Amino acid sequence: MYILIAASATIVAVASIAAARYWYLQLRSAKAEMEKAIHDVDSARNESETARIHGCIDRTRRRQAEAVFDVLRDAVIVVDAHGEILHANAAAGGLLSVSPEEAAGKVMTDIVNDHQLASTISAARNGLPSEGRLCEQELSFNGEDVSYEVHLQSVGGHEEPMHAVVTVLRDLSREREVARLKSDFVSKASHELRTPLSSISAYIEMLVDGDAADEEARQEFYNVISTETDRLRRLIDNLLNISRIEAGLMHIDREQVNVGELVERAVKSMAHQANEKEQEVHTQLAKVDLTVNGDSDMLYQVIVNLLSNAIKYTPQGGRITVAADADHLTRSLHLSVADTGLGIGPDETDKVFDKFYRVENYRRIANGTGLGLNLCRHIVETLHNGQIGLDSTLGMGSRFWFTIPMAEKTGRVAA
Amino acid sequence: MAHRILVVDDETHILQVLSLKLRNSGFKVSTAVDGEDALRQAIENPPDLVITDIQMPYMNGIELCNALLNNKTTSSIPVVVITARGHTLAVSDTDIANVRDVISKPFSPRGVAELATSILANISTQNVERSEAA
Repeated sequence: MYILIAASATIVAVASIAAARYWYLQLRSAKAEMEKAIHDVDSARNESETARIHGCIDRTRRRQAEAVFDVLRDAVIVVDAHGEILHANAAAGGLLSVSPEEAAGKVMTDIVNDHQLASTISAARNGLPSEGRLCEQELSFNGEDVSYEVHLQSVGGHEEPMHAVVTVLRDLSREREVARLKSDFVSKASHELRTPLSSISAYIEMLVDGDAADEEARQEFYNVISTETDRLRRLIDNLLNISRIEAGLMHIDREQVNVGELVERAVKSMAHQANEKEQEVHTQLAKVDLTVNGDSDMLYQVIVNLLSNAIKYTPQGGRITVAADADHLTRSLHLSVADTGLGIGPDETDKVFDKFYRVENYRRIANGTGLGLNLCRHIVETLHNGQIGLDSTLGMGSRFWFTIPMAEKTGRVAA
Repeated sequence: MAHRILVVDDETHILQVLSLKLRNSGFKVSTAVDGEDALRQAIENPPDLVITDIQMPYMNGIELCNALLNNKTTSSIPVVVITARGHTLAVSDTDIANVRDVISKPFSPRGVAELATSILANISTQNVERSEAA
């Protein structure tokens, strides 16, 4: 009986082991299948995730590239191999009168309304040299003809098929304007410098050749040489000082300066020019302390420049008044040079202090470089913390003025 | 009889120095301070030679040359142009039938007087030849 029980037990045990093994094997296989299934699901999920991430990266990169394009001042138009616009940056949108979003996906020839540019881009899609193509074109956008530097470059297209043509348009009008101003300035400066130099060299030659009849004539020649040398020096000072101030290299020698004395010196030095045009120059110096803390030579240069302009642009027999006063309330010195000349229109009063600017009406009356008043503004505003301005009415004369803070000492005395 | 030269420049010093040099060289001289003034004088009393600056108010030297050329009374008067514009002046600017020479500032008054003498001597010779031929 025991044996039977033991045998049964053994059988059961063996069977159990076999069953267990069977189920173990079954389970293991199921697990493997499940694991495989899980792995498959995972990898499928990973692939879509990867694709999603790649998509994100692509979009981010594209947005970054577009953001880079959009900050460029040059217009950028990217056209794909089928002639559709992939991207037009903000500057291009401005020229084509469409937003970058509207332009994207449109047929390039429908959006680019300048025929010349449209055909240049179309031609470039058929192939470009590896270094791209650079040309200058007069293009018309929004009814305005402007010179552009057109740079075309293909993306792909070497061994792989061409993906896109990138067109960059650079507006050349500003560069042209700077070049024109520069050459205009060289021409004006050369004219301005040669004129006093002509007088100096001509009068010296006359003295050498004995063309002056007597001592009085000789004395007159010496005076001309001296006046014209001053004029030449003023011009050179203006030219050099303006460059120095702009380069931040101007050294300013502050000292107590009596502006009344500067006015008298300036009027005396320009007396000859005023006499030649039979102009009266009056000075009105307030009987108060006119001392400021500033650079004597530079302030003198401002007064002489304003006075010399007044003489130059006031007709024969006109009247010029140089006035200086101190405003002890604002602790500032006020100087003005008023003339009975042609006056300046309201649209030009702000521009007269700009570098190279010349009043339209005056161009035919007298020569000039357009530097004198710009230098005055630099000296008054940049170097002396003052203010310069102009009150004028066309036909009624002009009144140029400047104010600068007074010396500390004067302020206290006034208080 | 002395030849008469009309000198035109808005710079009084230049006007004075040229007039004196030309007078000292035996010419009669009249002066004008701008193109309009010069044209008026030239029509009223035609000179034998005009010496003019280019950059002047109201009517510049180039406009004066053209105006003189287009007026019957003054069309045959030779002109010498003096300019401070130097290299910035295009050759075509002064390519006008009556312009005999272009002088750059700074200039030599002696040189201008010699040039005037030579131009006027040629004209005198031509006139003599013409009257002899007639």
